[in-house]
Amino acid sequence: MVTEFSSSAGSDTAPRRSRVSSLLRYTVVLALIAVFVFLSVQAPGFLTPSNLLNIVVNNFALLALVSLGMTLVVSTGGIDLSVGTSIDIGSLVFVSLISSHHQLLVALLGGVSGALAVGVFNAFLVAALGITPFLATLGTLFIGESVQQLATNGGQPIYLITGTFPAGFTFIGRGDLIGIPFPIYIVAVSIVGFFLLAHHTQFGRQVVALGARAGVAWYSGVRIRRISALVYILSAIICGVAGIILSSTVKAYVPLSGNAYLLDAIGATFIGTTLHPLSRPSVAGTALGVLLLSIVTNGLLLIGWNFYWQQVARGILIFAVLAVSFRGRPVHA
Amino acid sequence: MIYFSIAAASFTSFGNVANVLEQSAILGVLSFGMTIVMISGGSNVITGGIDLSLANNLGLCAAVYASLLQSGQPDAVAVFLTFFTGLSVGLLNTIAVVGLGILPLIATLSVMNICAGFELVLTQNTVIPATSPFLAALADNGPLGISYLAYIFVVLAFIFIVGVEFTPFGLRLYAVGAYREAARAAGLYVDWYIAVSYVLSGACAAVGAILSVSLLNGSSTGSGAMLLSVVVSTLLGVVFSRRFIPTITGTFLSVLFIGFLINGFQLTNVSSYWVNGVEGVLILFVVAATSLLRRVES
Repeated sequence: MVTEFSSSAGSDTAPRRSRVSSLLRYTVVLALIAVFVFLSVQAPGFLTPSNLLNIVVNNFALLALVSLGMTLVVSTGGIDLSVGTSIDIGSLVFVSLISSHHQLLVALLGGVSGALAVGVFNAFLVAALGITPFLATLGTLFIGESVQQLATNGGQPIYLITGTFPAGFTFIGRGDLIGIPFPIYIVAVSIVGFFLLAHHTQFGRQVVALGARAGVAWYSGVRIRRISALVYILSAIICGVAGIILSSTVKAYVPLSGNAYLLDAIGATFIGTTLHPLSRPSVAGTALGVLLLSIVTNGLLLIGWNFYWQQVARGILIFAVLAVSFRGRPVHA
Repeated sequence: MIYFSIAAASFTSFGNVANVLEQSAILGVLSFGMTIVMISGGSNVITGGIDLSLANNLGLCAAVYASLLQSGQPDAVAVFLTFFTGLSVGLLNTIAVVGLGILPLIATLSVMNICAGFELVLTQNTVIPATSPFLAALADNGPLGISYLAYIFVVLAFIFIVGVEFTPFGLRLYAVGAYREAARAAGLYVDWYIAVSYVLSGACAAVGAILSVSLLNGSSTGSGAMLLSVVVSTLLGVVFSRRFIPTITGTFLSVLFIGFLINGFQLTNVSSYWVNGVEGVLILFVVAATSLLRRVES
């Protein structure tokens, strides 16, 4: 039984945690199991190897990548609203280079540097100019929209013509290595990498210190500007990778399509915080959050409900998970 | 602004100003709701007050209103149920934030999803046309050739400015947001003020919905896209206040500012693709300038 204190200053809810509330912390896990069992019984074809693989590739992979970056950013006490911009710019540069017959490696590097540029811009705004992350990344999001509209003549998608791909292009999105699709390897490596980075390195500890008390971190010698700059750059890079995978799966660049991941990534990250006793984001928590969202999306589709009711059900389910897991935890100031 | 008044002769004309007022009314009313939530919730981005469900709540209310009118209900019933919807969503946010203690950011995010879902169920993702004598009267021109929509916007702005900035209630709202423990120690029933702010925000969504149905002659899809504009205008409004706090006056000014900006672009025939970008640069410029100013002062 862990005794703990509220993370918020001056809160009058010091150690008070019963066995019940420490169980409630695992609501996400319980909800995940419950949803999984329910769908296995109710949804035809849910519990088949091909569908489970399908969940991981089509629902889980990209959202997981985006949410990993978001987890780091939220850990520092910031937020990245421009993840969609990084995805889109990465995808735009990548697809443009491919369609103008460049080498795959050039296109890959180009895509990642496109996203990197977005990250550097965010880092400049947040770390150098001291703009609050919410506004800084919101500004980036708006500028990114204009850039894309200007580059694509108001939002025309760029389609790649089959047969003109350089060697290895289709492999990124749909390739197969000993029976497992290639994106899964990228996601697995990223999750492990981010896990080690966030929870087992000095950098990770400094990130947490920055998020907990920026002032104290600064006095203790943490170079807070550098840390927060790095966090936004990392987030943008991994979003760029997601953008490249996305565009090589659909063989196109669709302007402004990245924003679809923003709210889900925030949702997954914060669902993940319910796992932590001090409600901090963690890589494992985020991964569970993404898994819950992707299983629900896939399962409701299979049950064959009206698409519109799926949205309602999804919203209510997330609401319920949050409601249960926030019961009995220290109230935020 | 000066550039626009020189470049486009009609920019400063009376009719154009009224036009901008009418176009900004919906965004403005929503932003008032957001401002109140941000005042009572405090300014911390992650743990502070925010209502992400506002724009989708408007969409849901507009869908309810339009479909009730289409099924032949009289205006009074439709308006009543629209407000009922908006207030219920506000109440749901209240339960989530105050009752269950969920962070406002994710609480309202999940409520936003629920609203979006119900809106889709109601509209099947199509536009529901709606007309009624009441709506026609709203869109009609009142005195001085300005539509009643613009009048409602200005009157609401006035009511909110007085209510939030010049009453004991408003002062307490600020107290709750600025330092919750101190407000509680001073004997304020803190939860009640936060609850009221979310319910008011729901009411703003309902008002916005009625205005939008009247302006567009029906419900429209994609109202959720307005969310970011609402957030921007509220946060941009902060720089209009001397102490850099959200105020209704500031929000009102920033909504008009954005309205004039878009309008100016249209009048000078600049491609609309630039609008978002310029808006973004503007936010960053204003915020960077103020944060620099703050650093110099301290």
